Amino acid sequence: MEIAAVVLLAGLVVGYFVLAGCDIGLGMLLPHLARTPGERRRLVSAVAPYFLGTEVWLVGAVGVVAGLFPALKHEVIVAQWPVFVAILAGWLWRDAGLWLRPRADNTVWRGTWDVAITAGSWTLALGWGLVVGGLLSGGRPLSPFALACAVTVVALFALRGAAFGAERLVPADRPEPAATAGGNAAESADVAAGATRHLARGAAMALLFTALTAAFSTGAPEGRPVAAAAVAAGLALVLGVTSGLWGPRLSRHTSALAMAAPPVAVALAVELPVVAAPQGTLTLVGYALAPLVPVMILGQVWLYRMLRQPAASSGFFA
Amino acid sequence: MLEDPLLLARLQFALTAGTHYMFVALTLGLAPFILFGQLRATLARDEARMRAVRFWGGLYLVNYGMGILSGLVMELQLATNWAGLNDMFGYAFSAPLAVETMAAFFVESTFLGLWIFGWDRMGRWSHLACFLVVTATAYASAYWVLVANGFLKNPVGFEIRDGEAVLTDSGALLTNPSTLLAFGHATTGALLLGGLVVAAVSAYHLARGHDPDGMFRRGITSGLTVTAAAVMPVVAFGGTQYALFGNEPPTSGRSLSATEIARVEEDYGGGAAHAVGEVGHVLMTLCWTAIAGVAAAGLVLWLVNRLHRWRWFHWMLVFSPFLPYIASLGGWAFRETGRQPWTVTHHLTTADAMTEMSPAMAVLSFSLFTVAFAVLAAVTYWLLVRFARRGPEGGPLAPRPEEPDSDPQLPVHRF
Ligand code: HDD
Ligand code: HEM
Ligand code: HEM
Repeated sequence: MEIAAVVLLAGLVVGYFVLAGCDIGLGMLLPHLARTPGERRRLVSAVAPYFLGTEVWLVGAVGVVAGLFPALKHEVIVAQWPVFVAILAGWLWRDAGLWLRPRADNTVWRGTWDVAITAGSWTLALGWGLVVGGLLSGGRPLSPFALACAVTVVALFALRGAAFGAERLVPADRPEPAATAGGNAAESADVAAGATRHLARGAAMALLFTALTAAFSTGAPEGRPVAAAAVAAGLALVLGVTSGLWGPRLSRHTSALAMAAPPVAVALAVELPVVAAPQGTLTLVGYALAPLVPVMILGQVWLYRMLRQPAASSGFFA
Repeated sequence: MLEDPLLLARLQFALTAGTHYMFVALTLGLAPFILFGQLRATLARDEARMRAVRFWGGLYLVNYGMGILSGLVMELQLATNWAGLNDMFGYAFSAPLAVETMAAFFVESTFLGLWIFGWDRMGRWSHLACFLVVTATAYASAYWVLVANGFLKNPVGFEIRDGEAVLTDSGALLTNPSTLLAFGHATTGALLLGGLVVAAVSAYHLARGHDPDGMFRRGITSGLTVTAAAVMPVVAFGGTQYALFGNEPPTSGRSLSATEIARVEEDYGGGAAHAVGEVGHVLMTLCWTAIAGVAAAGLVLWLVNRLHRWRWFHWMLVFSPFLPYIASLGGWAFRETGRQPWTVTHHLTTADAMTEMSPAMAVLSFSLFTVAFAVLAAVTYWLLVRFARRGPEGGPLAPRPEEPDSDPQLPVHRF
């Protein structure tokens, strides 16, 4: 039962990074990828309602930490209180932007919520970067190593967002982009696809820099540095593939692998106090959850299958 | 006040919880209307009824967004500001919240995403099934969160080992009378709220002679019917809770001796919190009386066939949703302040439950979230009223006419 709880938690966090990386990353790139009002509308409807299904992974993870690993909560959340407050604020404003932007049709209103979406997404990415850095550096979130980790994680979020955008930003109603008047209607998607290569190179540089700070400065990983190095090597490989000529085409899968790297590195390299809850609590939670797991899986799979299509340019979130 | 982190943390919790509940109560109250509306529309393959579902569904979604945002802040706030509660009761108090987030919210949000996305793209029965799941999980959330809240008031089913509470009797936790009565009372109260909101919006449109597809005639009748049906259960569940007052929780004396408990309670002045709770209590009962009056008047008018015609009654209904909103906030203020000075009755005081934090941090977190909440709640209510007045044609779920996609003459943003 205890190992099941640990696997559940790790799965939720990795799932959150991989899935929510898409909508957070795309939100970060909003000013770059979408410039006309139509492109912006499509970008927001590409992020939503996808984000509804991704942030529940984090909500679930927080619930599991609170209910099953109270000690971990102390170590991670309370120890990095200011960062979590920032994450919460970024989350709040980004989501508010996604919900509220489509509700009125004037430039000032939409511009305001565009800022909220973009700034909120950056805050989230940076916040998670700082959390990862703080954990890997053994609680020194402001050491050069931790900051380099944070920059790497931010680059990975942007990469994931670009890879997602390359698929979801293709206009649904225009099968042949070149055929429309006014030039290339799939411009946002093309820019996003092109950006994956540059972002992968940027992330690789940041990773290299992180490795250098780990070797030459204080604040380098404690716990199990070999595991951390192995994950970093894997990440370097994945980023290398994405930087190449085939990068844009492979980026859907490679960016997912890359996003999984930070939480996996933390899980493998840091000795976290994962003392699972006593039997009574585990049993209660287990019995309450077991019948729902199939529904959860069904819902998630169904949602992602529906959302594989390009984003619509009208609807609740457009 | 600013130098007291405890007061700030309490006030912050009260404001976020109150905001959260204002939105959540409407979610709980509106969901059954939409579910049954969609069921009838699906059974009858009735496009006109489906347009009504789109209208109410649009309001539901605008409201739901803020419910999620405030819920997220609640959850993280519990983790960051109330560490003492987690240290001692993490395994007992947080377990139901973990189930709530994992099961209820995970499923609810995912299926709501499907429901939003599925308009015009899904089979009609699958689409209905999505909303059935959304409704069921909304009520399941309310149950699990009230398991946690009922535990604070009447802690049962655990033992203290090494200063930590360990769950020993899940059955007692799940059937805590303080949970079950609160669940009955809060959900029937939410139905009053939902019923009056539906009736109020319908009345507004009827008063202006605006009734596309007859949806607002149906709305005013069904809204008032649900309100009338819920009035007595609300007072029955509420009144029964008085019987629990003054009862010692069965676990009293396990972490603090009777003398220590008496000392804590003596030292507690009561003060402003107590007064707020009393005001809440009075408001709740007064509002109930007024709601019962409105419901009775509505039934009489319905019987004499004047419900769809009498303007003065329509305008009264338009303002009636204030009553259940005030009653809900008052009820919570009464319940939560009534527990003071304890966070967990006879086990943990509110002062000990709080995270140690510097006044500066407390002020920062307080101002950040209070301002954000005030802005977002105000914007959401403004939108709700705007969409409610606009009617089904301009709702957020209304099928939009094809618009030109990228209009080059519009300005291009660059920031
Ligand atoms: C529409 C909303 C509404 C209405 C009309 C009423 N209440 Fe209420 N009341 C609530 C909404 C509510 C609530 C917000 O849902 C509370 C807070 C916690 C809870 O379980 O329900 C609550 C709590 C609550 C409690 C629990 C206090 C505690 O546990 O410390 C009592 C004893 C009552 N109510 C009694 C009543 C009575 C006698 C009412 C009628 C005359 C009444 N309520 C009307
Ligand atoms: C400590 C108290 C509470 C916490 C920590 C909490 C937490 C949350 C969270 C995290 C969400 C959003 C989850 C998501 O969908 O992503 C949420 C929504 C919700 N909460 Fe709460 N909540 C609390 C109190 C309440 C109360 C008192 C009720 C009702 C009686 C309630 C019922 C709901 C419902 C029905 C939702 C679904 C979203 C919505 O309807 O707007 N919660 N809550
Ligand atoms: C069911 C979910 C809820 C849970 C688990 C919960 C739990 C808590 C906790 C842990 C505190 C801080 C410690 C304390 O003062 O005892 C608190 C305080 C408070 N809560 Fe709740 N709460 C819930 C719902 C609500 C709602 C919906 C309201 C609506 C107004 C509310 C109003 C308050 C108030 C006014 C206080 C401050 C009491 C005081 O300090 O005098 N609570 N609650």
